[in-house]
Amino acid sequence: MVLKLLKKERLLSFLERLMQKFLLVAPVREGNLTVYRPVKAAAEVAVDAPKSVVPPKEWFFPQTEEIYRYATSKENLVLEENVLAPPAVLFGVRPCDLRSFQVLDAVFLQEPADRYYAARRENTLLIGMSCNTACPECFCTAYGISPLKGTGADIHLTDIGTAYLVEALTPKGEEIVLQDPEFYEEKVAGIDEALRAKEQALTAEFAVQVAVTDLPAKMAALFNHPYWEELSRRCLGCGICTYVCPTCHCFDITDENRGNTGKRLRCWDACLFRDYTLHTSGHNPRHALHQRLRNRFFHKLKYNLDRYGIEGCVGCGRCVALCPVNIDIREVIATVRGLQV
Amino acid sequence: MKVANPLLPQPATIIDIIQETGDVKTFRVVLDDPDAMAAWRHRPGQTAMVSVFGVGEAMFCLASSPTSRDWIEFSIRRAGKVTTAIHQLEPGAKIGVRGPYGNSFPVEAMRGNDLLVIGGGIGLAPLRPLVNFMIAPENRKDYGNIEIIYGARSYGDLCYKEEVFRTWPETPGVTVWTTIDAPEEGWEGHVGFVPAYVAEIKPAPENKFVAICGPPVMIKFTLKELEKLGFKEEQIYTTLEMRMKCGIGKCGRCNIGAKFVCRDGPVFNLAALKELPPEY
Ligand SMILES: Cc1cc2nc3c(=O)[nH]c(=O)nc-3n(C[C@H](O)[C@H](O)[C@H](O)COP(=O)(O)OP(=O)(O)OC[C@H]3O[C@@H](n4cnc5c(N)ncnc54)[C@H](O)[C@@H]3O)c2cc1C
Ligand code: SF4
Ligand code: SF4
Ligand code: FES
Repeated sequence: MVLKLLKKERLLSFLERLMQKFLLVAPVREGNLTVYRPVKAAAEVAVDAPKSVVPPKEWFFPQTEEIYRYATSKENLVLEENVLAPPAVLFGVRPCDLRSFQVLDAVFLQEPADRYYAARRENTLLIGMSCNTACPECFCTAYGISPLKGTGADIHLTDIGTAYLVEALTPKGEEIVLQDPEFYEEKVAGIDEALRAKEQALTAEFAVQVAVTDLPAKMAALFNHPYWEELSRRCLGCGICTYVCPTCHCFDITDENRGNTGKRLRCWDACLFRDYTLHTSGHNPRHALHQRLRNRFFHKLKYNLDRYGIEGCVGCGRCVALCPVNIDIREVIATVRGLQV
Repeated sequence: MKVANPLLPQPATIIDIIQETGDVKTFRVVLDDPDAMAAWRHRPGQTAMVSVFGVGEAMFCLASSPTSRDWIEFSIRRAGKVTTAIHQLEPGAKIGVRGPYGNSFPVEAMRGNDLLVIGGGIGLAPLRPLVNFMIAPENRKDYGNIEIIYGARSYGDLCYKEEVFRTWPETPGVTVWTTIDAPEEGWEGHVGFVPAYVAEIKPAPENKFVAICGPPVMIKFTLKELEKLGFKEEQIYTTLEMRMKCGIGKCGRCNIGAKFVCRDGPVFNLAALKELPPEY
């Protein structure tokens, strides 16, 4: 691992240098929202912006994506694959969102690998950014994530006052850092202590301390508990919680047709929607909202762990902050852990 | 090198269409790329996604025998958007096919055993490749006797009549019982529902696997009869349907608990199925 310091005033040149070789995808402010999108100038990057509403997974798994075009005639069928994966840098990814890529990798890179996701993942350099403040809804530490660690990133930055600590964590990341030695200062003494203190201060800020010990086993025993029905009474089935979730990967595939040509698209979908599992016959395996809401929590907190060995939640708290009726996954976890089997 | 794209279908052509029943047609399909056609292999119980471009995709059982090398077949009931569009196609029409997907009937474990096949209506589609695999000359010696109990609402609703009434009964070691729900002019065979017919036939449970597929009520009541006859859940396999989009465990749609029916199914052992939440 290569450790350097990057003075804050040099960040812009660092980003501009990256833009010579890569498409820069970074947090920008749109109205009062933070979103990740390709930027034209490094100055657009909102370095200190609060956590994005729509997670950066959108770069690897867009909300709507053309997967191929087709042209049909009586004799002929032409399919034209559309895999867009320019060399890119995804900059400013928070530790929880870095973990979300591991969760999505388990799904999309499992054989047969998803070509679209895999190609962009392969061609994208990840630059992480430690958190400076804890949002009231955050609980990443419940899953062993540190708001100051760049696990999964190629390069990770941590704000330490007048400079960023730059950790190059992979050979790809080292190459980038080592090519411009003039940008950096050597690491100064005492940084480890400063980081540890910052980590403690940050996690102490978490409004709710969440523990997930024994949760999957507990959930299995409570599948038929009336709690899920009670919880679902205030759920609107709006699907916002899935839309903002960095680990949700459900999609629909549809055609957009014009005469004999068209596009096949894939779009985000949500297990909270009634039509999601509706059979053509009218039979619906999860016809009731409580079944669908329960499926979402089971997927995040148990099924994903059973299937891939990694929790399907990263504690980003987006669903907590954005649910219109305050359904709070931290509360669900605590309630389930406290219920009598 | 061309990297495989599992969501991209293979262009294919419908070469023949057989009207099975009022609303079921069997489509015989050839992949346009001869190398892809030659390389195509599927196991009994597997499925594939069929595309009608401009309309969409839907999942179907591979109804042809795994030993067929020149074409694949799908038996499709007209139900919604895609299935209606497919029913309007004629031989020569271009479609897309991707697959095969999913697990299959455990033909290795079934070796040396007898097989009881119970089908209702179009539910015979996933069971047909199993029978045809076992009676193929190269495999026949590996399997014991095959009993087939097949029912439908009426004579007109029975699929694969050529095989059901001729090929299979004429094959040594294969017995076929057919039944229809209500009496009908010209029908001299058995009349009555499948579960009652199973109770009447009394198949013996020893050294036998059961493969069952059909309408949920038929399955439910047949299982009760099988239990009375001494069959264990471990011996019984069925195939499940869920709404599907990707077929490869990515779109999330077909989960039952931590299982994805498109990957971990569609064939399930009844004992294993009992371990899953009843959301199917
Ligand atoms: C493993 C498996 C094997 C199968 N094998 C066979 C087989 O061998 N033979 C066979 O005939 N069938 C088989 N099926 C069933 C077959 O896949 C369905 O009948 C088929 O998908 C119906 O598609 P459709 O487009 O005709 O109907 P759809 O048009 O999809 O279904 C109609 C209804 O679905 C809803 N709907 C459709 N699209 C949308 C949308 N975008 N958003 C919201 N709601 C929507 C609408 O309410 C509509 O009324 C199998 C299914 C599975 C999962
Ligand atoms: S379930 Fe909620 S807290 Fe967990 S990763 Fe998804 S949006 Fe974040
Ligand atoms: S955001 Fe809240 S109300 Fe909307 S579906 Fe999710 S839990 Fe239900
Ligand atoms: S059909 Fe997409 S996960 Fe099974």
